[in-house]
Amino acid sequence: MTAIFSVLVLVGLGAFLFQVSGQHPEKAWQAYLVNFILWSAIAQGGLLFSVVLHVTKARWGRPLQGLAESFAAFFPISFVLFLLLFPGRTFVFPWLGGDLHGKEGWLTIPFLFSRDAAGLLILYGLGFGYLYYGLKLKRGFRDASERTKEEWHHRMTIIAVLYIMAYALVLSLLAFDLVMSADPQWISTLFGPYAFVKAFYMGLGALIIVAALVRIHHRETASLTSSHFHDLGKLFFAFCLLWADFFYCQFLVIWYGNLPEETSYIIQRTMTLPWSRLAWVVFFLSFVIPFVILLNKQVKTRPRFMIGLCSLVFVGIWLEHFLLLGPALCPGADSLPMGMTDVLITLGFLGLMAMAVRFALARFPELLPVQRQEVK
Amino acid sequence: MAAEKKVMALFENDTRAASAIEGLAGSPWKLEQVHSPIPSSKILSVLKVKKSRVGYFTLAGGIIGFLSGISLAMYSGIQWNLVTSGKPVIALIPFLIVGFEFTVLFAVFGNVLGFLLQTNLPEFKSLQDYDERCSGEHFGILASCAEGQQEALLAFFQEKGGEARFL
Amino acid sequence: MPAMTYAQVEETVLKTLRPASLKYWAVVSLLFIGILIGAGCWAYQIAMGIGVGGHNIPVVWGTYLINFVFWVGIAHSGTLISAILYLFRAGWRNPIARAAETMTVFAVCIAGLFPFIHLGRVWMVYYMLPYPNERNLWPNFQSPLVFDVVAISTYLTVSSLFWYTGMLPDLATVRDRASGLRKKIYQIASLGWTGRYEQWRHYTRAYLFFAALATPLVISVHSVVSWDFALGIIPGWHSTIFAPYFVAGAIHSGLAMVLTLMIPLRRIFRYEAIITEDILDNIAKTIIFTGLIVGYAYMVEYFLAWYSHNIVEQESFRWRAFGDYSLQFWIMVICNSVVPLLFFFRKVRRSIPWLFFISLLINIGMWFERFVIIIGGAAHDFMPNAWGLYSPSLIEYAIMLGSFSLFFFLFLLFVKHLPSISMTELKEGIHQGGGHGR
Repeated sequence: MTAIFSVLVLVGLGAFLFQVSGQHPEKAWQAYLVNFILWSAIAQGGLLFSVVLHVTKARWGRPLQGLAESFAAFFPISFVLFLLLFPGRTFVFPWLGGDLHGKEGWLTIPFLFSRDAAGLLILYGLGFGYLYYGLKLKRGFRDASERTKEEWHHRMTIIAVLYIMAYALVLSLLAFDLVMSADPQWISTLFGPYAFVKAFYMGLGALIIVAALVRIHHRETASLTSSHFHDLGKLFFAFCLLWADFFYCQFLVIWYGNLPEETSYIIQRTMTLPWSRLAWVVFFLSFVIPFVILLNKQVKTRPRFMIGLCSLVFVGIWLEHFLLLGPALCPGADSLPMGMTDVLITLGFLGLMAMAVRFALARFPELLPVQRQEVK
Repeated sequence: MAAEKKVMALFENDTRAASAIEGLAGSPWKLEQVHSPIPSSKILSVLKVKKSRVGYFTLAGGIIGFLSGISLAMYSGIQWNLVTSGKPVIALIPFLIVGFEFTVLFAVFGNVLGFLLQTNLPEFKSLQDYDERCSGEHFGILASCAEGQQEALLAFFQEKGGEARFL
Repeated sequence: MPAMTYAQVEETVLKTLRPASLKYWAVVSLLFIGILIGAGCWAYQIAMGIGVGGHNIPVVWGTYLINFVFWVGIAHSGTLISAILYLFRAGWRNPIARAAETMTVFAVCIAGLFPFIHLGRVWMVYYMLPYPNERNLWPNFQSPLVFDVVAISTYLTVSSLFWYTGMLPDLATVRDRASGLRKKIYQIASLGWTGRYEQWRHYTRAYLFFAALATPLVISVHSVVSWDFALGIIPGWHSTIFAPYFVAGAIHSGLAMVLTLMIPLRRIFRYEAIITEDILDNIAKTIIFTGLIVGYAYMVEYFLAWYSHNIVEQESFRWRAFGDYSLQFWIMVICNSVVPLLFFFRKVRRSIPWLFFISLLINIGMWFERFVIIIGGAAHDFMPNAWGLYSPSLIEYAIMLGSFSLFFFLFLLFVKHLPSISMTELKEGIHQGGGHGR
């Protein structure tokens, strides 16, 4: 398995380097940025599932929490990938060197990189702290007294609350800095929540895929029942609706106000070719199809089907990230600037995520919801 | 048909009531009604009831609601062609909200209508064959039998742990 | 949940329905006087014109709109507790669901009065109905104000039907323990419910659909109310975050009002064993969450007002914090986002006086939030020579007093004549240590 993932990573890396050294390096960096944001969001949103269940003291999803925590293994990779955005800054930040009408204090490379890196460090640090105490509790540690275990649990709760607050703030910050700033004249106050709700939507989808794979692979020993999948499916459906609702909130307000400084962003992406076609594809893949299918109760409990559905949604959201950034990074494009390299680079990122999750589940088998033979 | 006699038995918990129902199934006596203060999954599974059809009424209501909402908004716009700040007179984007609210409203009407039709409420005649303790702590089973068998039926219920009496 | 028996549950709740004391009727009469004062002032306003309120150019929306949004907001957390927490199978909602839902129904009723109150010519309000008429006037369904009409009427209807249907089994219980005229009244009210298995079968299904339909309603109704402001282009109003911000704020104020109502209720009716301190603790924790969302919205609005470098936007937000209404602004910020942080401390969450006091502060803060948004937006928009101030008149204060009196009047009547705790849901909870059977 790891061999396949390494091959994917190498393919992705190769495609990236090939594109970067060619005539259109901006395409490589575009794909890199889109993928960085998407896969980091999946990891951040994935861990959020476990954190939220812990804070609300919910018991229904206990076996799933370990799987959700394994996504945190992507955090160090994500951080390095963020720092590696630096060489591509001229391609990734279209406002570099332009007249920013006063925003220069905020949109400068040193300030942007330092504040975003600091935010990521805080968020990922909290994530690791949560994981650390979680693993300590899972491992049992017979020599630890009840009091110590309570203390760990208490610390986990504090860290969990801080993670939730950091999640909202850091993901909003990243959304403003990496996506919204690409069109410096445009603002939307809901953009931050839009990004972090999207990230949770993605995290849930990824969790469903991983849980389904565990169920298929481990069959009888997996402690995942169909009611877990049913509940996860319902949550996924709910966040599909919430994501679409946040999109609509922005769209309605901007459409109704009809202010040119706001509408140009929307018109470019949803009403003019070539991007409007992409917008409809995103709408169908990530909203209409999951909405209609998930109304049915039975389908949520079929692991293989859900893997297919969630993957489709992922493709849709990948395209959505591309849609948000595209008109700003490739202004004046006549046709959609997508090609084979985008696919290959995405596969590379997929390989990285898969390797991270695999590593976590292998190194910390307590995270895997499988009944083990040994008595703890 | 021989005159029917009715016996009402009260049980303290639903497990005993469920076993009594199972016992009645193979007997010559007829099960008329089961009353309970709370919905009991044990009793419902023993009675092998089908899923309720209220949902179809709700769905029908929702669809009618959505179509009515959008049509009302469109009709209203066509009748009084008020162009406001350059927006089209028939605009789906704001009309979706009207459609959505009407969907929920009519779905709820469908829900209530379905509920009332399926449960046959309001209806006061059956309060005669009813024991008031069934809304309190007891699960009541009403059974009927032919003339002459009521003692046997009474004994059957008492053996199952219930408190039985003639109606 | 402490192991109570069905009989104990019934006894505790049915005891509250016994004939009331003189003190009760004295309070009810006092509230009725408050209602009369409000109604009288409204009649005066209809006769003399809307100018007897403080509205004028440029602030055309004053306390009537503030109260409208305030009461709709309070209504939302009732539906959150009764519908959304039901879908999440959170058993702790059972003891407070009935009272919360009642709060919703009454709050929406009162909110629904204010659009009528703030109309100058109330007798022409039927113009808003979509029916063929000689004037060929039809409502413009693109307007957020018309969305409001549709949304609020839907919310009122759905909440009332949800509330009533949910009460049927309990009304049957009250009927079966009553006698004489009371029995007859409850017999009709309970529609002849006998707890037959077919009735339960359809009831549980219908209840699930009610909850599933009420959930998107909570989000959509207050989003529609927020769009009354956000769809306009006034700086400080035209902001995409308004819909989720208002919904979170609504739940924030509603949960605070739940605490304000539940704490005296459990004391007076001796519900301490049923509405436990754990439940109040859970409400307090949820308030932290909604308070953080509201705080986030304040921060993001300020940040993006600066980031946009739009001078009108920047001036609008500067004035809010440091201008003529800065006191109201700081009350808002501190009461809504800072004070709820005290709930992070267990001692505060477990102290009844603190819970009550903080719940009052939050509601004051949320009222002032609507003040800052509505008055602040209208008073200080694009053109400096169009700026103006506003202060509510005595008539407006009196009508506000009338609305608060009406709410508590209705709620007091409810607690003495209808079961204020859902006995059926409590019994189910005892039966299987959880919520409704699934």
